[in-house]
Amino acid sequence: MGVRVTTGRTLLAAVMGFGVALSAQAAEYPAIGKLPQLKINNAKAELGKRLFFDKRLSGDAAVSCATCHVPDKGYASKEALSPGYPGNGHFRNASSLINVAHKKVWNWDGRIGTNLNDMTREMLTEDYTMNMDMRIMQERIKQDPVYVQMFKDAGYGEPSNGSVRKAIPEYMKTLTSANSPFDKGKMSASAKNGMKLFKGKAGCIQCHNGPLLTDQKAHNTGVPENFDVFLDPMNHQAFIAFTMFQGIPNYMNLKRDPGYYNITLLDEDMGKFVTPSLRELKYSAPYMHNGMIKTLADVVNFYNQGGGKDSKKSDLLKPLKLSGKEKKDLVAFLEALSGNKLTSDKHVWKQPYPAEYEAIANWTEVPN
Amino acid sequence: MRMKKLTLTLVAAAVAALFAGCQATAAKQESATAPAKMSAAKMAMKAAGPAPLAPLGKAPIPPDNKLTPEKVELGKLLFFDPRVGGDASTGCSTCHEPEQGWAWAEDFSRGYPGTVHWRNSQSIINSAYFPRQFWAGSASSNEKQAKSAAKGGVAGNGEDDIMEARLALIPEYKKRFKAVFGTEWPIIDDVWHAISAFERTMNTTGEYEVPLDKYLKGDKSALNEEQTRGMALFNGKAGCINCHNGELTTDLDFHNIGVPPNKRWEEDGLAQITFRFEQYAKGQTEKGYRAAKSDWGFYYRSKNKWDKGKFRTAPLRYIAYTAPYMHNGVFYTLEEVVDFYNRGGIDEEGRTTLFPENKSPLIKPLGLTDQEKEDLVAFLEAFSGPEIMMEKPEQPPYAPLFNMAELKAAQEAK
Repeated sequence: MGVRVTTGRTLLAAVMGFGVALSAQAAEYPAIGKLPQLKINNAKAELGKRLFFDKRLSGDAAVSCATCHVPDKGYASKEALSPGYPGNGHFRNASSLINVAHKKVWNWDGRIGTNLNDMTREMLTEDYTMNMDMRIMQERIKQDPVYVQMFKDAGYGEPSNGSVRKAIPEYMKTLTSANSPFDKGKMSASAKNGMKLFKGKAGCIQCHNGPLLTDQKAHNTGVPENFDVFLDPMNHQAFIAFTMFQGIPNYMNLKRDPGYYNITLLDEDMGKFVTPSLRELKYSAPYMHNGMIKTLADVVNFYNQGGGKDSKKSDLLKPLKLSGKEKKDLVAFLEALSGNKLTSDKHVWKQPYPAEYEAIANWTEVPN
Repeated sequence: MRMKKLTLTLVAAAVAALFAGCQATAAKQESATAPAKMSAAKMAMKAAGPAPLAPLGKAPIPPDNKLTPEKVELGKLLFFDPRVGGDASTGCSTCHEPEQGWAWAEDFSRGYPGTVHWRNSQSIINSAYFPRQFWAGSASSNEKQAKSAAKGGVAGNGEDDIMEARLALIPEYKKRFKAVFGTEWPIIDDVWHAISAFERTMNTTGEYEVPLDKYLKGDKSALNEEQTRGMALFNGKAGCINCHNGELTTDLDFHNIGVPPNKRWEEDGLAQITFRFEQYAKGQTEKGYRAAKSDWGFYYRSKNKWDKGKFRTAPLRYIAYTAPYMHNGVFYTLEEVVDFYNRGGIDEEGRTTLFPENKSPLIKPLGLTDQEKEDLVAFLEAFSGPEIMMEKPEQPPYAPLFNMAELKAAQEAK
């Protein structure tokens, strides 16, 4: 059985290697197109917005969700590697959160496949991200009268950890692509041509398909390692803490990001990462799980040469032989997948937070 | 004598509970268990009267964590290294500061950034001698105390994996852990062992011997006249010896002596946050969480209502350097402490514990004269010798584990 599967795969790769028009196959992939509308509860989302930008949601009150997910950068990290929690660095690039509510699997290695509620918990409590004891978080929130009112208005009653984990995802639903030339049907001629290449000669559609332009599966594209993960002890300590906690064998000697291997512990999954969405790329540079590619033109060049070097690289990647114009058209299409920046008050909490926690009056008289 | 009276009271309560019938099930349980909780040995000890003060002997060293100079040296480095904590800013010495009596000179310990603690930081000096650590005795060894403090949300807020990862990237530590513990990489549990080894050398013995111990060993000149009078009060009229007794100057038991709640909880939002967190973290019922307005102390461990407001009798050596006093640091001077006891466990504003029903019958107005109070304070000063100071070691630096050539080779081999 296993042998037959392998044979099938080899055959498919061989067929593609001969350059048989992929456009014929495009129909096999979920159509790229508009994202479905999400129903949003405004009061809950507004509360989630205030929480998202609030540094008091981290252990030492020094970082918020927005420290790594920067609105101006498409809610992704500015640097190749995220800053992480104070006292350590990080080993991956924070993904864009735009359209994150439409996903079915989260994290570059796909380690969360349930919901954003779990994802929110993960980011708040992991020691190298926000290192928050959520019991302290709950009590901090209860100390801020603005939150007490907002939780009430949102129908959550008294502030609790559970409702924080619901309100932040509700806010993330509001981070949805708006007015991209692609969605409006107003692409330039170059971008339109790029879309043809995307579905055809360049073969991007094989993994980047559906409204999010991702199959949400893990693939090895041979992205080179970011050596800063290992050369900077601040980043490396976060990497070691992560791989140790995840139970990855031989973590002290690892000189590469294991990616999806984390989930299966199968050698064949080493170096696979979940296909990212291609929406809002204009803002979220640098690219790839470790920020190793700086521009979209570089990304296209990377795929044009058939991806990177890895013995376990996906068979889907072959040199594409794109012309200069074709590469430009492809970039134009990728850019047409970006809409308005989500940086206004509608998406960003811009009011100040209290500088200190007000004491509860008549503390001895009122129940806690 | 006084203890006998306490036992009688408890027996009387038990008898009363029997008559109170089924509505008093809880009370019955309480009264039936409370005297039974006292071991036969303890009862015998109490009947014989408190053990007299005795000079401090050698610190006990547990057989599973023997002291070696290398381990102590490693422990010292770790004790002063803030990377043994959450955001690499808060290590042991952050709240156990040598210049503040190896404790913290505010009512509440300073806590992790973004928080404040809710109890007074206790000195590590002589901590080796105590079978239980923390105000409610929640850690049964120095090793467990170190771990608990380094990981607690309002203390070190560190997680095992990130702390262990940091140490692995500090070559000096890698070398030293291998030499001391024989492991390829530093192991987090060994961190607590090394820190404890260091702490077990931090005692008021040898050159740091306190005047009282010199006196008890026969050097009658170690105490002046005032102090000698104070000692007589300590052992007699003031009754301090009832709890502060024996070699360790503590009976290691838990008592409610009437310390009032810290008013900071009424005025400080950050302290209110921690207060509620502690109720939550210590497994309070929701009813208890809502109602608590003071630290319930030993109750959090026993969950018996008669333990509300009880704390471990604090040892008295080195107290000249460890102000403020009590589990919540409400008294800043020894004079205030003596006044508090002299009033019968009541502060100058007339405040006392929120659980007066649990207040020890040993605590009652003492009727000390001003001269007697001065004598007592003078004697309490004899529990401290020279200040123990130490140069803080430099933090050994991080270094990358791999070099560029190794990383490139790994990349090529992919």
